[in-house]
Amino acid sequence: MQCKDFESVLASEGSGPLSAEAREHLGGCSRCQDFLSDIDSIVAAARTLSSEVTPPDRVWLSLRAQLEAEGLIKEPAETALGPSWWENLGFFLKPRSLATAGAALLLAVTAVFLTHTSRTTNTVNVPTETSTAKITGTTGPSAPGGVTNSPSAPVDVTAKNSAPGPAPSRVKVLKPSPSENASTTLSETEVDVSNMRLAGAGNAQVDASLRQNLHTLNEFIAECEQHLGKHPEDELAREYLNIAYQQKADLLAAMMESGRSEH
Amino acid sequence: MCASTVIPGTTLGAIRRIRSSSGAATGQLARQRPPQPVTWTEAEAIRQAQAGNAAAFEFLYQLHSRRVYALCLRMVGNPADAEDLMQEAFLQLYRKIGTFRGESAFSTWLHRMTVNVVLMRLRKKSLPTDSLEETMEPDAENSGPKRDVGAPDLRLSGAVDRVNLERSIEKLPPGYRTVFVLHDVQGYEHNEIADIMGCSVGNSKSQLHKARTRLRELLQEEIREQAREERKAAKSQSGALD
Repeated sequence: MQCKDFESVLASEGSGPLSAEAREHLGGCSRCQDFLSDIDSIVAAARTLSSEVTPPDRVWLSLRAQLEAEGLIKEPAETALGPSWWENLGFFLKPRSLATAGAALLLAVTAVFLTHTSRTTNTVNVPTETSTAKITGTTGPSAPGGVTNSPSAPVDVTAKNSAPGPAPSRVKVLKPSPSENASTTLSETEVDVSNMRLAGAGNAQVDASLRQNLHTLNEFIAECEQHLGKHPEDELAREYLNIAYQQKADLLAAMMESGRSEH
Repeated sequence: MCASTVIPGTTLGAIRRIRSSSGAATGQLARQRPPQPVTWTEAEAIRQAQAGNAAAFEFLYQLHSRRVYALCLRMVGNPADAEDLMQEAFLQLYRKIGTFRGESAFSTWLHRMTVNVVLMRLRKKSLPTDSLEETMEPDAENSGPKRDVGAPDLRLSGAVDRVNLERSIEKLPPGYRTVFVLHDVQGYEHNEIADIMGCSVGNSKSQLHKARTRLRELLQEEIREQAREERKAAKSQSGALD
């Protein structure tokens, strides 16, 4: 075997064991011994170079901005949950659903009217901590930020179902004001709903899901109210509260509908 | 059943939208809900990213960015370009993540994309006459392993330090550099490199051998250059003393 052949063996075999013929050549060739020794030194030095280097944070920030700009990042709830709107159209066109939707609309309009009233007077008429107590009992750990899939902390649905009658935390409105009337209407509906079984016996998951959404919504409303208590001038927070009331009305209507269909 | 699937989805979706958009204006509301760390398996994170989940994108980025950045850094030699290339590689990956079916490992897919992005950039930077084939497989006459018949070989043992090696790696032709970094620095096997580079295992072995041999020559040149510099400095020092 010549030096050239030995090098060919190295090229084709890589770092694997040498053949007997190659070993024999290596034993008698100082030039190839030097060559192999140098290659080993290079490989050993290369192994000491770090294979991982932490990039600066700005790269992810920039990448994320680009992903958002291109619409590659989507709302997880929309992709993970729920069928498309046309699949749900049939449900909303049922006469009973239409009646429930009408009731929900009425609640929503009341809520909007009351929120606007409170805004024009520029006072903290929207539910204060006293009225918030109506929908508390929802102070558990909340859902993480808007990017995760995990819902908020599970609600003890069994406890609610096994204890009929108004829960101690749901107190009646103490002073009559327009906004509190809306809250009262919503709370009373909520009390009714809390005593219903919302879906078939075999579908406790649906029941829990609806109640969990109500729990999350209540939390958000309480949060908005608390924020408005400290910053009554915050129009955006008021707007969110308004939307949350509407959503709660919709949800309660759907829950009532779901419960009614069981009886 | 409909109510159970429609209303929860829309309601929670709306709340999440409200929360995510209210952060700037009502900072207090947002601050009360710090994002929680997400722990997924890679496969789960890929599925979530395919659905457009931002946290999954970030999870995959955090999982692989250090190795990808190291590769880019060794390939181009400067942090600004490396950051740019890494961002481009991840962006391309996320654009195509919907098509990932798991035929190869996710990291292999990502590294293949990174290598392509880097080699394309290096090709654009090099002379307009250079083809990609030349970038991958340099002219054997000029860049391949060679031995100076007349000059004695310098022994490298003990003379290879990180600085010398890094400087010499930068001088390697891009194709050799890629295989060398993937195998000898990052520890990939030849079958993985073949997958990343889109070549045969034999080709990967051959390229690595040529890369190492070329590196040896570059390091020997480096040592000779250093020796020349030292001689010159010593001569000028003795001249000053006379």
